[in-house]
Amino acid sequence: MDKAYAKALWNILEGGAKPKGALNTLHESLKARGRLGLLPKIARAFALIAARAEAKNVVVLKVARKSDSRRALNEAGELLKDAGVRPSDVKIDIQENLIGGWRLEGRERLHDASHKAQLMDIYERVSEG
Amino acid sequence: MEQSIVQKIINEIERYTPKAGVEHVGKITSVGDGVVAIDGLSRAVMGEIVEFEETAGKTLAKGMDSGGALYGLILNLEEDGVRATILGDSARVHEGMTVKSTGRILSVPSGDELLGRVVSALGEPLDGKGPFAKTTMMPVERESYGVIDRKMVSVPLQTGIKAIDSMIPIGRGQRELIIGDRSTGKTTIAIDAIINQKNEPADKRPICIYVAIGQKESKTARIVAQLTEAGAMPYTIIVDAPASAPASLQFLAPYAGVAIGEYFMDKGRDVLVIYDDLSKQATAYRQLSLLLRRPPGREAYPGDIFYLHSRLLERSACLSEEKGGGSLTALPIIETQDGDVASYIPTNVISITDGQIFLDSSLFNKGIRPAIDVGISVSRVGSSAQTKAMKSVAGTLRLVLAQFRELEAFMQFAQDLDKTTAERIESGRRMVEVLKQKNGSPIPMEKQVAVLYAADKKFFADVAIKNVSKTETALVEFLDGQYSKELAEIKKTGAVSDGLKAKLNRALEEFRLAHKELFTDK
Repeated sequence: MDKAYAKALWNILEGGAKPKGALNTLHESLKARGRLGLLPKIARAFALIAARAEAKNVVVLKVARKSDSRRALNEAGELLKDAGVRPSDVKIDIQENLIGGWRLEGRERLHDASHKAQLMDIYERVSEG
Repeated sequence: MEQSIVQKIINEIERYTPKAGVEHVGKITSVGDGVVAIDGLSRAVMGEIVEFEETAGKTLAKGMDSGGALYGLILNLEEDGVRATILGDSARVHEGMTVKSTGRILSVPSGDELLGRVVSALGEPLDGKGPFAKTTMMPVERESYGVIDRKMVSVPLQTGIKAIDSMIPIGRGQRELIIGDRSTGKTTIAIDAIINQKNEPADKRPICIYVAIGQKESKTARIVAQLTEAGAMPYTIIVDAPASAPASLQFLAPYAGVAIGEYFMDKGRDVLVIYDDLSKQATAYRQLSLLLRRPPGREAYPGDIFYLHSRLLERSACLSEEKGGGSLTALPIIETQDGDVASYIPTNVISITDGQIFLDSSLFNKGIRPAIDVGISVSRVGSSAQTKAMKSVAGTLRLVLAQFRELEAFMQFAQDLDKTTAERIESGRRMVEVLKQKNGSPIPMEKQVAVLYAADKKFFADVAIKNVSKTETALVEFLDGQYSKELAEIKKTGAVSDGLKAKLNRALEEFRLAHKELFTDK
């Protein structure tokens, strides 16, 4: 039940409603039904939905070394433009196991231009053949 | 050797072009019991294959050791994500893992190379005989052929079992259910039917596919050994989803089997597919559905349990000449509990199929094997595919047996029987003996016709019941040696002409004179 309330609240806010008004309405509605005890659970479920939505929108550029990040941002420029993401909103993450190149992740998309992925690809082709 | 590997690597590097484009992905939010919930993948379609990215976050060396690609199958599309089943070792999947959309629908390899092989529900070789070099990928889920593409079932599929070929005949393209309690000989009938195809000419011999669902590995190994020993493996493919396999593979195995069969059917070949058994597939599907949080219905099966079997069995067909004239015959097996054919899954499958062979545990325990209850067994389309020869000798068989069963029950209360009734009972007893058959020894159609012709002519009336089987074997041997031309004629023409009948009568008389000892022991 708490999840359903949280989801409904999220949808109302996504629709453009003012947070204060939406919360007041929710509070009154719960009070009228004698379900005020659900409020903490609804808050937790709402936080989860919000965290999930935020994670969905985060775009991460993974590089093997910090020094590679500028070049990687340049190379990924077209992809970021297509996705409507400003380079300043991109989170840079260092992952040494990528060996080189870069990997762009976020908004249900993945572009793997890392050296590790390319070497794995060659390894699979050689071992399959 | 080393030089060639180095050269191969150099070649691959030289012609390597990096994968272009963006992949659509999702993240695993929960995993358990072979089912994963995935956040994202909003463009995924039902039945799509997804790939779990195991190498992310690992070093190159560890990535190479990860044990090959691991795939999943999308079975639920939800508001904020999808649910998929893992087609492999679920221990390799963890929360937070990236899942890639492949845009592919599940398919399995098929082709001549699969003949004589044992493969998994995903078409991977399980027999250690190496990978397949050249195969064609066939979609696991495919729409069945429509009315226009089909023709009437008209060619018999000989099982080599007298009781079936005479009274419950099966045609090529038919769906005949084999149903009964555990240990009543269901698998034996199916295996005998495969072995008997050896008696067919190579160009008309059906490709046989045995799909083992939720079976013990030891049982499947025994079946493979039996088929190998009988020389049936060169035209047989085994699809194995053992009891130890994930529920997803047990659910998919029959579809994989029919997809492999459709390749041959589309090429104009005849195919026989055995699903052993669909009760276990239904159980696996129930498990998956409950884990996928689909609403449970009767006996906790999901609402689409009927469709699970109907869409599988509808893929059996006898194709028109325009479509190549191939056929796919299905022998699904259903295991009942305490002989209850009226429970949920059995009634579903009975209503889908074109008839059923019911195996009775009480007959089995009486030593009547195959333990077919001819009273409730039926073949709805097979009679049009029965040869004239078989029709002419088996026309009254069902009636004789039905009368015998009724009189046998009555006999338990009656002390004195009139001569006619006693004769009928004795005749029925002998007929039951004639229809008995050892497992693994199917009999070719022409020999069945000869034996049933003899039985119809009351040839066994003077033979002691305990000697009927021995007499029958001796008769078949005698005919095989002395009257092979006549047997060949029955096989070729599929009929028993008046001239042939006269020759058979002479043969029976000769046999009687040569084996007097068998006809005196009352």
